[in-house]
Amino acid sequence: MPPLIAVGDISRVFTGGARTVTALEHISCDIHTGNFVSIVGPSGCGKSTLLKIISGLLPASSGTVTVHGKHVDSPLENVGMVFQAPVLLKWRSVLGNILLPVEFARLDVPSYIDKARALIKLVGLEGFEEMYPHELSGGMQQRASLCRALVTDPQLLLMDEPFGALDAMTRDELDMELLRIWEERKKTVLFVTHSIQEAVFLSDIVLVMSARPGRLLEKIAVDLPRPRTMEMMSIAKFGEYTLKIRALLAAAGVCAIIGGNRNLLAESFPKTNP
Amino acid sequence: MKSSWKNIAEPVVFFITLLILWEILVEVIQVPSFILPPPGDLWVAFIKKLPILGHHSVITFIEAFGGFALSLFLGVGFAIAVVYSRHLQNTIYPLIVILYAMPKSAFAPLMVIWIGYGLYSKIAIAFLVAFFPIVVNTVVGLKEVEPELLELARINRASEFDVFKKIRLPNSLPYLFAGIKVAIVLSVTGAIVAEFVAANEGLGYLVLQANYNLDTAFALVILLILAVLSLGLFWLAELVQRKLAPWSAAVREVEGSF
Repeated sequence: MPPLIAVGDISRVFTGGARTVTALEHISCDIHTGNFVSIVGPSGCGKSTLLKIISGLLPASSGTVTVHGKHVDSPLENVGMVFQAPVLLKWRSVLGNILLPVEFARLDVPSYIDKARALIKLVGLEGFEEMYPHELSGGMQQRASLCRALVTDPQLLLMDEPFGALDAMTRDELDMELLRIWEERKKTVLFVTHSIQEAVFLSDIVLVMSARPGRLLEKIAVDLPRPRTMEMMSIAKFGEYTLKIRALLAAAGVCAIIGGNRNLLAESFPKTNP
Repeated sequence: MKSSWKNIAEPVVFFITLLILWEILVEVIQVPSFILPPPGDLWVAFIKKLPILGHHSVITFIEAFGGFALSLFLGVGFAIAVVYSRHLQNTIYPLIVILYAMPKSAFAPLMVIWIGYGLYSKIAIAFLVAFFPIVVNTVVGLKEVEPELLELARINRASEFDVFKKIRLPNSLPYLFAGIKVAIVLSVTGAIVAEFVAANEGLGYLVLQANYNLDTAFALVILLILAVLSLGLFWLAELVQRKLAPWSAAVREVEGSF
């Protein structure tokens, strides 16, 4: 089966005055329909840039992205996006915010109200439809923003550190809900995070990226049973995956993540080439 | 409930104390009344001049509010044009910045030459003074949109008009109201300054008349009326804001000068 998304040797250079920054260097990967794919790496490694290039919001300096075999040169059609901040319109109710993409895409709003309500129920925001963003907690706002991303029923969901700003408990809760929704609605998800645990817990595939310039260190297939549960985080296999990713990042010189004991890890996981 | 009662009582007690102190101080130190009349004299002057105060207050109100309304209308229009047109941003905006740097009240004598002695030259000055805070705040409000919202609009293929109507314009409202509150108070100042230069009616004209006659009590009465007028307009702006943009409790305004 051909991949849904084919990223072919993407590089991205930002030029600002006399300074040029290489954000991404020679990234290639395939993403298949229905997969939950996480991109994990240190801050500033170009994870978000990669997401924007795939979505067509940002052009690559070199290389190509194809989605459904079509070359991407403008924003993709029918993609759901969730950002780190909920970015809801302060002057609209929860329901009004969720319907915004429908209005933007000039679809028939009344026929989407039921879909919006179903989504609101799905994420547990029932009864909050008419509330305004400032009346909601951060976690509830992010739930609303998830509904907004799903309302046009996109095949592809792009999530840029969506739960990064939330407290650990809310984050776990939303991770579980995201998985439930993903399993129920069968989307392809591209999920950017800097949490190794979150990446392993959620994903079928974890793309590990190095610090600037962002390079793909390895593509790791996570072979843990579905549906995933929180208890899985404490089984040995889960630990092996997270440790392997840590070792990869440590070998690439991202020391901050690994702490002091680099040698020990390098011994247990000999350096692999992507 | 107790604290809200206290919030009213405290300033009331404070001001009454202030008035009593003022009255006693003037009495004890024997300040001549043309320098500082006792508060009682202000009341007397207010009652005596009440018949003429109404007319002049209305004149100043029309000048100030007329100038403000014009600045709101043209200022918002201009701000939208500047945000959407690179040409305007490159040509007219620098001109506006130069004008902004000039003391607008210094235009008052020129306005008399250009527009004449009557109401319109005062409206023009009130407009000039109120225009800049409106433009500057509206431009900021239209531009300061979270970039993710614009990405969301792009990925959903929103039209430029939709982005304006559904994101930029509502986003600018809190900023616009911050500008309005500055502008509406400044417009009163503008009208008064214009009256100082050349007028035969209005509260600014009355202040000058009171000064010539060394009627300090009356001059102070007019100042208080001006304070009431400015505060009234400010509260009106706040009221409209609560109706139109209840989500915008407080946004710091970009200061305008006069």
